[in-house]
Amino acid sequence: MIRLKNLTKIYKKGKHEVTALKNINLEVSKGSIHGIIGLSGAGKSSLIRCINRLEEPTSGEIWIDGINLMSLNNKNLRNARKRMGMIFQGFNLLWSKTVFDNIAFPLKLSRLPEAQIKERVISLLELVELSDKANSYPSQLSGGQKQRVGIARALANEPNILLCDEATSALDPKTTKQILTLLKSINQSLGITVIVVTHEMDVIKEICDYVTILEGGEIIEEGNTIDVFSKPSNEITKHFVESPNYLPKDLVDDITMSLSFMKGSAKIPIISKLIKEFDIDVNILSGQIEYIQNEPLGKLTIGISNISDNLDDIISYFESNNVKVEVITNE
Amino acid sequence: MNDILALLIPSFIETLYMIGVSAFFTILLGLPLGIILVITEKNHIMPLLKLNKFLSTIINIIRSLPAIILIILIGPFARFIVGTSIGTTAAIVPLVVAATPFFARIVETSLREIDSGIVEASISMGATPLQIIIKVLLPEAMSSIVLGITITLINILGYSAIAGIVGGGGLGDLAIRYGYHRFRTDVLIACVVLLIIIVQITQFLGNSLAKKLNKK
Repeated sequence: MIRLKNLTKIYKKGKHEVTALKNINLEVSKGSIHGIIGLSGAGKSSLIRCINRLEEPTSGEIWIDGINLMSLNNKNLRNARKRMGMIFQGFNLLWSKTVFDNIAFPLKLSRLPEAQIKERVISLLELVELSDKANSYPSQLSGGQKQRVGIARALANEPNILLCDEATSALDPKTTKQILTLLKSINQSLGITVIVVTHEMDVIKEICDYVTILEGGEIIEEGNTIDVFSKPSNEITKHFVESPNYLPKDLVDDITMSLSFMKGSAKIPIISKLIKEFDIDVNILSGQIEYIQNEPLGKLTIGISNISDNLDDIISYFESNNVKVEVITNE
Repeated sequence: MNDILALLIPSFIETLYMIGVSAFFTILLGLPLGIILVITEKNHIMPLLKLNKFLSTIINIIRSLPAIILIILIGPFARFIVGTSIGTTAAIVPLVVAATPFFARIVETSLREIDSGIVEASISMGATPLQIIIKVLLPEAMSSIVLGITITLINILGYSAIAGIVGGGGLGDLAIRYGYHRFRTDVLIACVVLLIIIVQITQFLGNSLAKKLNKK
């Protein structure tokens, strides 16, 4: 388990001070995939880099499996880092070394016997499906292949934690999806805790069990990904998770509602029942179904015209069916 | 023809000796100096700003002195190091003093070309500063350092012509003594041709090796 306590990071540029992280308290449970998302400058990169002290926190504690990383000397910190893999947006591979030697690099740092290194690298190459590229140099690989080398290298020391700093931000959507699938399968097969920093909502939706949203160096919302997506409580979060739903003014009926279907309610014919039960006319204005970690989340905007005074009943009908309702006023 | 050869061969050997030994010590001293210049910078693996500033200033001072002044200034120091202040061996001392700061700057530039992300990744893998220097910085910059060594060798060759002042000998010295002072144009031309050949071969070997090492 990872627990950050009152983590603060202040950058000093001459006389100016910039607070990148303000009193961050964060828990990441073992074996989960935890996403950290925010706009650029929100402090998410500083946060993940503080976890292995690539960036030295100004104050606070970093507890990993019962050890406070802030209390370690250089040697013990290096050993602690070997139990955490890290992958980067720019891959950061060694250009002068082959794929094989890049993956062997952390093992050589740990002075493992050659035979053991060879065996381990070969199995890692298989894991990331790059066995045929063992003798290639990074410059001969595509972006996705480079990141897979990065992942294999990060896993070489059999870490408990994998830190991903914008690991897919330099990749195209298709390659991003492949890398995310790989991360997910590594998380499931090896039980590694994965922390993902990203500015892409799709990355969070695709693989993260939990999500933390950062804004101005502070946590503004956190929780299960599906919960945060289906009922964001913070205004900034809403802006993040909801694709802007601009309706032309003349389309907005007397009563316009934005509905979020969750927890299986996307599979029930709620609207059809609504029409029959309340005898009203429903006009569907926009709708979509998103999949978050394979759970469907439906978003629907409807207009109701011939409504009597049973608005409250309609709202409670939705809520009893696990549908979150927001009434949009015509303004 | 024979008398030209008789003049050229010993001078050629003196030149190779001066360049070879000077280059050896220049790399021996300049490489660590260049590494220290980079790693002691702010935000690198061993920030020691005062040391960095100090070394940088010393290097700039030595590099500001013209080679001819350096050779005269360094005479007493050469006697202290190699036991004499004249002759080919004595000439090596000022050559090393002149070339080391130059080479250190070249190493510094080569190491700076390495993406800081690579160093960061190594830190995240638990590498020690020494491991980062030996296993990351040097291999990553090797192609560029080889080109730097090539430039330095050719530079030393240039300096070595001036070494005639302290009786250093060599092709440059021969060209001045026979070709210029005694109006032996044939000796002058032979020296220059030989110097051109040395430079061409050095540059060719340096370029090929650097190209082979460059995997980027």
